[in-house]
Amino acid sequence: MPYLTDLEASGIPTVLVVFNEEMEKVKHDAVIHGVPKLRFVVASRNSLGGVSEAHKILEPVLDALTRPLAPEEKEKGTWAPKQPRILFEGTLMEAEKFYKQTINIPRLLGAPFSKYTDGLPVVIPTEERVAAMLKGTSHKPDEIIRLQRDMVIRGGPTAAVEKPIVRKKGDVIEFMPMYRTATVEQVAVNAVMAGCEPEYFPVVLAMAESGGGTGDGRGGGGAFLVSGPIYKEIGMNVTNFIWGPGNPVNKTLGRVGSLMWRNLGGYEETISTIITLGNPVTNGGFIFAEYAEGLPNGWLGLNEELGFKKDESVLMPLGMMGGWGIGQQHAPGVYRSLQRTGHGAMARFLGVKGIPGPHNYLVYLIKDIWATMEGGFTLVLPPQIAQDLYDYGFKTKQSIYEWIWKQSFEPVGRFRMRGSQDYLTNGWLGIEKTSGKPWRELPDDYMVPAGGDDPFDDYNIVVINMEETAPARFSGGHSPAFSIDAWR
Amino acid sequence: MSEIYMCLNPTGNQEPVELFPLAPRLDTLDGKTIHLSICGEADIWVPLEKKLKSDYPNVNWTVKKRYHIVPWEVTEEERKTTDAVILGVCW
Repeated sequence: MPYLTDLEASGIPTVLVVFNEEMEKVKHDAVIHGVPKLRFVVASRNSLGGVSEAHKILEPVLDALTRPLAPEEKEKGTWAPKQPRILFEGTLMEAEKFYKQTINIPRLLGAPFSKYTDGLPVVIPTEERVAAMLKGTSHKPDEIIRLQRDMVIRGGPTAAVEKPIVRKKGDVIEFMPMYRTATVEQVAVNAVMAGCEPEYFPVVLAMAESGGGTGDGRGGGGAFLVSGPIYKEIGMNVTNFIWGPGNPVNKTLGRVGSLMWRNLGGYEETISTIITLGNPVTNGGFIFAEYAEGLPNGWLGLNEELGFKKDESVLMPLGMMGGWGIGQQHAPGVYRSLQRTGHGAMARFLGVKGIPGPHNYLVYLIKDIWATMEGGFTLVLPPQIAQDLYDYGFKTKQSIYEWIWKQSFEPVGRFRMRGSQDYLTNGWLGIEKTSGKPWRELPDDYMVPAGGDDPFDDYNIVVINMEETAPARFSGGHSPAFSIDAWR
Repeated sequence: MSEIYMCLNPTGNQEPVELFPLAPRLDTLDGKTIHLSICGEADIWVPLEKKLKSDYPNVNWTVKKRYHIVPWEVTEEERKTTDAVILGVCW
């Protein structure tokens, strides 16, 4: 949209062809980017072959370029919505009713959409409660949230066609989809509403520095991983049922991402952003912490892998959760039988029946895993499985990332049948990364990875505290981390 | 009587936006250079591009295609000779 704005402002008339369900978002974005009367033509996403639809929109498209401007299309002005610091004054009962307000979004067919919350009741952000939250940091209330260090953003769903993004310390953080900024106090308001305690606040501020779970506007509140000693200081649960209810720290910290998306970012479904179905994994907030004490000797904690010290606390945003499923992949006992005595289904699968471990369990785990999915994943492991992998011969996490990645190589002819690659390779016009050659010059039998571009960027291992031998996995690998300590 | 509280605003800061008028429209299509900026789903564009070019042969059509959702932009040099832009289906 900024591209169209710039064209119109420089005197070049434009028209945008959009799909029907995106119409309200186009109107919304047109205001944010300064051309509120932007002309657009609506097409159907589902017309067969697109031929009839193309014929239908041809004349309206050309009309939009030639029809003289109406008076309102020639108007200049400024769009500056009012944003008072004090939003409501009254009793707590009245405030509860106020913050429970909903708005009507026609495309949601009358289903109410919360004006200030994630749909659940919130802790009312009185001045006193917000002031108490602000005691959880040394940063001033009116400080704008900015990047605390230089960083390079690699990877992501468009890595095959996009260059890494270089960001500088001091860059102002924009909360999407409305490109808003926020102060430390505004983040504190959302932290209070989520139910956080002041001692959690540095984690919340690191979440805000990472974009607050707003992503490109479709962040869904985000998903986050904490590494470093702060997990123990504030009481994050790193043992059994880390993704379940009961622990107020994990629960409220996870929730605050959804509130920042709604309030700091201005997310309104089908108006400021369009989501397809959402994500059942991150719904309501998703955060957990690493249990570095459970790592085998020689394996680095996530903070160390990402360039921080062992005693530094960091937060790493996770990618699109759930793409690989989440949760237990098999009965835990069958794993123990494999390693202890060489019995059970996994031992039969690996052909080691009757031979005690350690065996390379990863062979079982990744069997056919890239059949119709591409990219890498995060493994969440209990200490015993991590130790077994170490004893088998994986003396570093990196050696596992590389081993798994290498198993994903397949011929180009097979890779061309994958569902996301027309898009990710820009119609096979781009460069294949492992060879540095154009995709179109590679023979069908040339081997390329289906498991992502880079072993470290696309894979991750997180150890949590649990005696049961049940691992889990979800999408994504490593991304740049944000210092929690910088926000103390 | 219940205590009265001041309750704070959780929304972020929306910077004021300067609003622009639309660019003047074309008085005719004939002889003009119109750029087709194609991005996102290609299905609708294949027949649209074909029909535009066959029905309006007096227009100088220029094209940049991308499968990605963000379009390839016309350069500053190309803007000097571009009279209008049709963009879709992403933006």
